Amino acid sequence: MLFADSIIFACLAELKKHLGSFNNCHLLMHARADEEPVDPKRELEDRCKAPCTRPLKEYQACSKRIQGDESGHKHCTGQYFDYWRCVDNCVATKLFTHLK
Amino acid sequence: MRTGKINRLIAHFSLPGFLSQPSVAASLLKAAPILTPKLGQAESGSSGSQFPKTTALFGAGASGFLGCATIAYASDEAEHGLDCPSYPWPHISILSSYDHSSIRRGHQVYQQVCASCHSMSLISYRDLVGVAYAEEETKAMAAEIEVVDGPSDEGKMFTRPGKVSDRLPQPYTNEQAARFANGGAYPPDLSLITKARHNGQNYVFALLTGYHDYPAGVTIRDELHYNPYFPGGAIVMPKMLNDGAVEYEDGTPATEAQMGKDVVTFLSWAAEPEMEERKLMGLKWIFVLSLVLLQAGYYRRMRWSVLISRKLVLDVVN
Repeated sequence: MLFADSIIFACLAELKKHLGSFNNCHLLMHARADEEPVDPKRELEDRCKAPCTRPLKEYQACSKRIQGDESGHKHCTGQYFDYWRCVDNCVATKLFTHLK
Repeated sequence: MRTGKINRLIAHFSLPGFLSQPSVAASLLKAAPILTPKLGQAESGSSGSQFPKTTALFGAGASGFLGCATIAYASDEAEHGLDCPSYPWPHISILSSYDHSSIRRGHQVYQQVCASCHSMSLISYRDLVGVAYAEEETKAMAAEIEVVDGPSDEGKMFTRPGKVSDRLPQPYTNEQAARFANGGAYPPDLSLITKARHNGQNYVFALLTGYHDYPAGVTIRDELHYNPYFPGGAIVMPKMLNDGAVEYEDGTPATEAQMGKDVVTFLSWAAEPEMEERKLMGLKWIFVLSLVLLQAGYYRRMRWSVLISRKLVLDVVN
């Protein structure tokens, strides 16, 4: 009951904030008062993995390629940066709507 | 096509530190003997050996810039750090003020999380009055700290409780002490940090919330931590913002992102406390100067109307 109440309250709060442009009430984002707060950024980063599968696959392919490397010169920073650039741009547009 | 290869060869030479890349050096050694006979071939169709040389020199100038783009060194990427995204800060737009409740929460985060290592020696307690706290609250906050004050009548230094006019307390007595306590790295003073770093607000937020796992193949000393946004990737500061690290007075859930947003708002205010007044002044003066522009335009055209509308008749003398 408390959970439902907090969700309804959160939905109304979102309504007031977005003035009709609410599409989902971010049910995942609002935890119960007695639970640990869930970090919205981490959650958004998980959700943004979907539009960023190509750089993620490139990174995974790279890390597989360099797996047996002993010289220590090989690294996947480029692919890593490409992946995180994609995720960051996806997260940045949405993150602040979940923060007070 | 051949000049393209020459341009790339020159770009290789023009980039600093190219020899440190063993793969690049190996590819250069392979490319060089192939290129020299091609230079000889290019001569046959044009005037002597001038043509490839001049284009090569031209290419050297042009591809000094392009070299960095055509050959993406991963070391350059890590050196500059991952570029941070642009977050939609509520105070960013041209007529927006700060979120003052966010400044208040951000000061709380600074005090409880950051002040143990970072000083903010340009901010006094009285600067917070009217911005984040009321005067009595600020007086009480200042009174909690001990301040060393000037020589007494007996000539001795003494400690007293802080006043509203005192600066925020410094965690270390001097830079050397700070470096010694932090493995040689100096935790910078945060009074102006959002102006002291390129794209400061976004950078600080990305840095504080961006402690991700290492990329494959990257190793860092035990004392350091990996942060892709930090130039070089290896930062001394560990991840400081963890969920629930601070309990906000107003009951806001203290998630990592929330604390990051609040502390960056506080730091933005600390670096640019005049922002709201500046924007108001800007609005007022742009309006006034637009009117002045209209008046000036009218006056100019009025004065020039005599000359613009004159007619000159050229008559032929018989």
